[in-house]
Amino acid sequence: MLRTTLAGLVAHRLRLLLTSLAITLGVGFIAGTFVLTDTIEQGFRQLFTADAGKVAVAVTPKDEDIPEQVLAKLRTLPGVAGAQGLVRGTAPLLDKSGRAAGSTATSGISVVAGPLDRTNYVSGHAPAGPGEAVLDENTARTRQFEVGDTVTVLDLAEKRRQFSLVGIIDVGVDQNLAFTGAVGFDTATALEMTGEKGYHEVDLAAAAGVSPETLKKTVSEALGQTYTIRTGEELAEKLALDGNVQLDYLMLVLLLFGCVAMFVAALVIYNTFNILVAQRTREMALLRCIGATRGQVFRSILLESVVVGLISSALGLLAGLGLGALALNVMGRFDTPVPAGASLALTPRTIVSGLVVGLLVTVVAAVLPARGATRVAPIAALRSQVEEQTFRAGLARSLIAGLLLAGGLALTGVAIWGLGGDAGLLTAMGGGAVFFLGVIVVGPVLMRPLGAFAGWVPRKVFGVPGRLAVDNSRRNPKRAATTTVALTIGVTLMTLISVITASTRETVVSSLDEQFPVDFMITAQYGRQDATPLLPAEVPATLRALPEVGLVAELRQTDHGGAFVGSLPDGAAFRPEVLSGSIAALGPGTVALSENQAKDLGARVGDTVPLDTAEAGKVDLKVVALIADGSLNEAMPYTVTVADFEKYYGKIGPARVYVKAKDPAAVDASRRAVESALLAYPTAQLSSAAEVRGEFDDAFDMMFTIFAALLGLAILISLLGIANTLSLSVHERTRESALLRALGLTRPQLRGMLSIEALVLGLVGAMVGVVIGVAFGWAALQTIPNETVFVVPVGQVLLYLVLSALAGVLAAVLPARRAANASIVGSLASS
Amino acid sequence: MGASIALTTMTMTTDVRAAVVARGLSKIYGQGDAAVHALRGIDVSFATGAFTAIMGPSGSGKSTLMHCLAGLDTVSSGHVHIGDADITTLSDKQLTLLRRERIGFVFQAFNLLPTLTAEQNIRLPLEIAGRQADQVLMDRVVETVGLRDRLSHRPSQLSGGQQQRVAVARALISKPQVIFADEPTGNLDSRSGAEVLSFLRRSVRELGQTIVMVTHDPAAASYADRVVFLRDGLLVSEVTQPTPQSVHDMLLKLEA
Ligand SMILES: Nc1ncnc2c1ncn2[C@@H]1O[C@H](COP(=O)(O)OP(=O)(O)OP(=O)(O)O)[C@@H](O)[C@H]1O
Ligand SMILES: [Mg+2]
Repeated sequence: MLRTTLAGLVAHRLRLLLTSLAITLGVGFIAGTFVLTDTIEQGFRQLFTADAGKVAVAVTPKDEDIPEQVLAKLRTLPGVAGAQGLVRGTAPLLDKSGRAAGSTATSGISVVAGPLDRTNYVSGHAPAGPGEAVLDENTARTRQFEVGDTVTVLDLAEKRRQFSLVGIIDVGVDQNLAFTGAVGFDTATALEMTGEKGYHEVDLAAAAGVSPETLKKTVSEALGQTYTIRTGEELAEKLALDGNVQLDYLMLVLLLFGCVAMFVAALVIYNTFNILVAQRTREMALLRCIGATRGQVFRSILLESVVVGLISSALGLLAGLGLGALALNVMGRFDTPVPAGASLALTPRTIVSGLVVGLLVTVVAAVLPARGATRVAPIAALRSQVEEQTFRAGLARSLIAGLLLAGGLALTGVAIWGLGGDAGLLTAMGGGAVFFLGVIVVGPVLMRPLGAFAGWVPRKVFGVPGRLAVDNSRRNPKRAATTTVALTIGVTLMTLISVITASTRETVVSSLDEQFPVDFMITAQYGRQDATPLLPAEVPATLRALPEVGLVAELRQTDHGGAFVGSLPDGAAFRPEVLSGSIAALGPGTVALSENQAKDLGARVGDTVPLDTAEAGKVDLKVVALIADGSLNEAMPYTVTVADFEKYYGKIGPARVYVKAKDPAAVDASRRAVESALLAYPTAQLSSAAEVRGEFDDAFDMMFTIFAALLGLAILISLLGIANTLSLSVHERTRESALLRALGLTRPQLRGMLSIEALVLGLVGAMVGVVIGVAFGWAALQTIPNETVFVVPVGQVLLYLVLSALAGVLAAVLPARRAANASIVGSLASS
Repeated sequence: MGASIALTTMTMTTDVRAAVVARGLSKIYGQGDAAVHALRGIDVSFATGAFTAIMGPSGSGKSTLMHCLAGLDTVSSGHVHIGDADITTLSDKQLTLLRRERIGFVFQAFNLLPTLTAEQNIRLPLEIAGRQADQVLMDRVVETVGLRDRLSHRPSQLSGGQQQRVAVARALISKPQVIFADEPTGNLDSRSGAEVLSFLRRSVRELGQTIVMVTHDPAAASYADRVVFLRDGLLVSEVTQPTPQSVHDMLLKLEA
């Protein structure tokens, strides 16, 4: 039996090739994910270990920074050969135009010299005095600074200080520094520039003969519990772990897409084995006739799947290495901190999980077809005419499908109207998955009507080939359903993402239009404070003095005493969505509450709520309005008038200033005026509504591209499935095609017939996917508590339909060529 | 040898009314040592409105001859004329169009498309050619074949004999210049076989159809007007107005 199986495999190797490719791609994705994360992790670890070799013991604070006297004390401990305090704070670098670089201030760090130096220099050297500084590679490149240039950095008092740039450094895998960029000084200058009162880490070198463990013990005894004390090795371990948390997240997301790809691959395999079994009915019946038991037939098919699974999973591992390398390369290009030059890591975990997943999926997908093979009666060997697959929707199928569909809808309903929020979103996703399973079960029933629908036009337009093609696409509904459902998965997810992206984009844009009815917005650079950064208090007045400027409205906010309070910007333009009461009634001694805050307090319009203020003590405020959450860009739990705000919290700087040009036709001129007025305030950042919109657009586009790229693999696999089913069907219908050719169908007509069949299959798969995708996109949006606009990106959705149809045609190219080029006589003779 | 010379002369004289003519037709499969000479220079013609059977021992080249005559296979040398067209000079596309217009087929098995009903199968060649069915002819053919009540059935719901009759009806409907049938009764019991054969004969008599049929069975051959015999790729003899007995005798003589 084993030999028969293997001979069969060799005979069918071409037919199994596409199947293997499906598994190979799926396993490749999963293995690639592991290779990527393992490589990054190992790269990190190597870097950390190399760094840690230089440090015997590292002291880090648990909350407050380490003060100077502790450093001094550490220097005097026995066994300490050297100690260096590391400074890290904020030191906003100005770009060449004199504005603070980036939306977040550059980090100011100390760069130490000597044996404890862990800095990697790309070029130049360490700063040798108070007039010298170094810059991280990335910032230097994007802001176009070179060694020898003069750089300007704001000190604590926001005064410009000039340094000569003496070196470019690589901040390695420090996520923080990679994000903010870093400017490095000697320790004293760093302390002065950042205003830090202590060190965020102290590194110790051990004297000759003193082990890091001994030193750690000495230090622990001297410092007590206030600080965390680690040996260099422990420090490396900790840094690696910190990196891993982010890696785990990345891995989880990637694996999720890997699972989708594997599921699609499973469908493709299931279909292939089903078809192979159907085609070998006679062979199997013959085996049964000459005495093979059901068990033997079953095992022979399973064995076949094991061999296919193993070979393709092994190839998948190779593909994974390639994909991992590719991903690393891409990430490197996008300035994601990945360790450069790390060699690809193929860990036992990758190998085992790749092989096990590939093998399991293949074998499990082959079990049902194998069971079907055992049902072949020996007598089938004697029948001449291949029986047409008839399909009737059985009671069991209807019941299961009904349960799944209803269950999915019910779950989604609960998610939308019962839960909402994150739990609602997850439940809706779950509901979508269950519903989709229902669609898979009910698929064969849908195939005939949908095939007729999708085939309506081709039938009319393409004559006999068209008609035959549409008939063929509907002749084996089970096979067609499994083939198309694989594509449906991809299209559903793409549509879902399109709908969500388009709706969110539209929501953001319309709220921008509503709540950003100004020309510019000025915010402060993030950096110095942890809370919302504030602009200098005199900025609004400076702007009001400009003749080109019309409205200047300021938004102030504070979190004094844990209560977030904002002022309502003046100017009639700012009118949030009021749920009850009237915002016009907001005057002295009154407050508008956000929906959520009102709920928390149990307050209604007309009630009085207490507020603990900084300057006026405890005040009682009369509630005049409830504001919908998210209806004002900066909706605060408490909103009071600007005058009241000043009374309660003093004249603090605004968090935002909104500006409208005096002459709507001269926005550019007023922008130039505002820009030059802001030169005095380098950390103030000017953005226009168009820029804000552009940023959102970029972010959405980016997100969409990433998702599409990740889903691309699943879609590719489903196309392989279509190609596979078609080529198997073409093989099955060799004599039919020959007959048609004998009767006068030309080669192009035969090719056209198969292409149209594929087109119909692709269209049906996409239609189902688009409908489900739009429906569940809507459901997902409903779970978002904020008011969201529901938008169906019609163009995009139509594009998916067209692309799916075209992809189907593409998948049919090779099978159709083979069918058309086959010799008529040879095909007629084949059995 | 004498027989084949006589035949050649006869071919010449009947050329005027011939539906299909082959001249010096040879077919070689494979190359070098593995070369098989399936046909070794055959000259034959088939008269319009006649029912001709091709017989011969297994492997003598009957199917090959038929495929070459019908333009389903290429020839190694020689010429085949169907009507005024030399099909050995046609491109694949031209050949396909010629098959569409002028040739009908009945095969031993698998004649029908499983997705189409009997009627759709019958109409298929016309539809492929984009022609309208001649309703009178359709009625007559359907009547002759005796399938009126089976027209909406699919092939899997028909018996083997019924399937072959549908195939014959399909071959007739486009009024082709010639119908080629390769062992059309090979898979049928003698009663269904007889039905199909008498039907073929009637279509020759009543519709003036030209039919060339390959068969193994002397009884089947006896329905024809003329039987030609092949051996080792050569046309060796013929019998006109055959009876099962005369055909049988000739076969015995050839195999001896
Ligand atoms: N495709 C092919 N390749 C090589 N040789 C072939 C091929 N087809 C037929 N032959 C050879 O050509 C010769 C004639 O074959 P053909 O099928 O025409 O015989 P036949 O008279 O129809 O036989 P049967 O009565 O068994 O159907 C045989 O020797 C056969 O082996
Ligand atoms: Mg033959």
